[in-house]
Amino acid sequence: MSRKPILWISLAVLCVFIGIALAAPLIAPLGPTAITGKPLQPPDTRHLLGTNNIGQDIFAQLVFGARITLLFGFFSALFSVLISTSVGIVIGYYGGLVDEIVCRAIDIFMPIPMFVLLIVLTTFFSPQILEVSLLMGFLGSIYGIRIMRSQVLSIARMNYVEGAKAIGASDFHIMYRHILPNVMPLVMVKFVSASQHLLVMGVGLSFIGLWDTSIIDWGTMIQNAYSQGGLALGLWWWILPPGIAVVCVSLSLALIGYSLEETFNPRVGVNRL
Amino acid sequence: MDLIRISDLRVAFSTRSEEIRAVDTADLVIRNGDTISLIGESGCGKTVMGMAIMGLLPKNAMISGTIRYGDQDLLSAPDRTMQQIRGKEIAMISQNSANALNPVITVGDQIAEPLLIHHILPADAARREVLRLLSVMGFEDPERAAGQYPHEFSGGMRERILIAMALICNPQLIIADEPTSGLDVQVKSQILQMIQQQIAGTRSLFLITHDMGTASFLSTQIAVMYAGEIVETGATKEVLAMPMHPYTQGLLASLPSAGLRPIPGMSPAPAHLPEGCRFCSRCPAATIRCSTLHPPLKTAGISRQVRCQIYD
Repeated sequence: MSRKPILWISLAVLCVFIGIALAAPLIAPLGPTAITGKPLQPPDTRHLLGTNNIGQDIFAQLVFGARITLLFGFFSALFSVLISTSVGIVIGYYGGLVDEIVCRAIDIFMPIPMFVLLIVLTTFFSPQILEVSLLMGFLGSIYGIRIMRSQVLSIARMNYVEGAKAIGASDFHIMYRHILPNVMPLVMVKFVSASQHLLVMGVGLSFIGLWDTSIIDWGTMIQNAYSQGGLALGLWWWILPPGIAVVCVSLSLALIGYSLEETFNPRVGVNRL
Repeated sequence: MDLIRISDLRVAFSTRSEEIRAVDTADLVIRNGDTISLIGESGCGKTVMGMAIMGLLPKNAMISGTIRYGDQDLLSAPDRTMQQIRGKEIAMISQNSANALNPVITVGDQIAEPLLIHHILPADAARREVLRLLSVMGFEDPERAAGQYPHEFSGGMRERILIAMALICNPQLIIADEPTSGLDVQVKSQILQMIQQQIAGTRSLFLITHDMGTASFLSTQIAVMYAGEIVETGATKEVLAMPMHPYTQGLLASLPSAGLRPIPGMSPAPAHLPEGCRFCSRCPAATIRCSTLHPPLKTAGISRQVRCQIYD
């Protein structure tokens, strides 16, 4: 079966969410923090998804929350891919002692579950959202470094790398001009899958309240609905929309990732789903 | 004037259990305008010689001796100096293999790379130079070729591209390591002519090959290598007309045109080299002396050297 329609649908869904995040003030003029109605109102024409326990517009929170959640996911993924690509290329190209040290360090980090490590670190340092994002990018890059390194190991033995040395190219030039373009497809695939992974993890972190709860993202929304009686009272318009949004974005990112991987590396099995 | 003077070059690789002597006590002089062929069978150390000049031997190589280039020794020169020399003053035509060119960079960009790395020309002038060189190399539509990727070309075309890359900085010395391997006879002779035209007395060529035909076509001097040692040197014409070393004689007799008589036996394993003459076990003229006494390279006639006891 061709994966093309799935790729296009996923891209469309993702674009819709990105569009919503960009145009948030236009779509939801009520704003996510202002108290604009009575508490716990069911949906009506003014409050499309009703209001929460203190009378804030849930639809506006969903729309503005997309900004935080998506930005968080993409930024962490960008940082993660940046680290894994640069470190992977450097250790894969030079090898030797540095390679050995980094690989052993990865061996130490690998068995520690990332989410648990994150919970511990954020509890101790109570960081800002940007710092959490960087931390997550860093932890997320650990797996990527390995994959990138193994790819670079095979590329660095290609004759054109030797050829580049023979025309007097510096090591930096070889890594940047000859190795990087050859791992770029992998970098793109890893970026998409890391976005998905880290976005969901970010929602999880904010759901358990491990960063500034005044920043409203989808995780905080679910947490509020859960702890302020939304679930107990069966107010579906409060608890379901952020959850559905997370599932839609995460699923479309995952499917885009699979499609890209299949395009760049046709040997990957076709029937992954 | 001497361009490169290799003296007493030894290259060895050590593995866990043994030491492999790839090149032993090699002496060779490349003068300006010289075309020298280094000839020998696979594994005799000829590629290692080329790599030593380029300073591209792997890190586990144990190297001694000197390679003088101008007033510096290429073996002890710092990496930065070597980077400035490589590609600009000494260039290499690498063996044409499937991944000799980077698959994701256009041919034009790859040919221009040496010019840009050495800051010889700005990007737009480099581009013009690439197009000029591509048309010299026989590409009918250089503009189009420059924008194409390596996989769009045949083996012969890729070899021309590799030659263009080596020539673009106008280097004094070109090292060509088996430049025509894997090409069919027709294309091979075109490539050889192209290299000959480009060298044409203005540059020096150090050709590494196992093919006598290629060597006699391109070079005026020949050095024959066997089991890591140079066993005979001399003018190509003289060596071909009157080979002195029994190995060279065997090599010439093994050519199809001379009756296809291969040399019996195998060359010694580089980790277990015999104490005496290294060709001793395969040599038809060997005496008892040969198995114990290692012969030095001796002058034999005008600009000829041979490493064999029978000329003592």
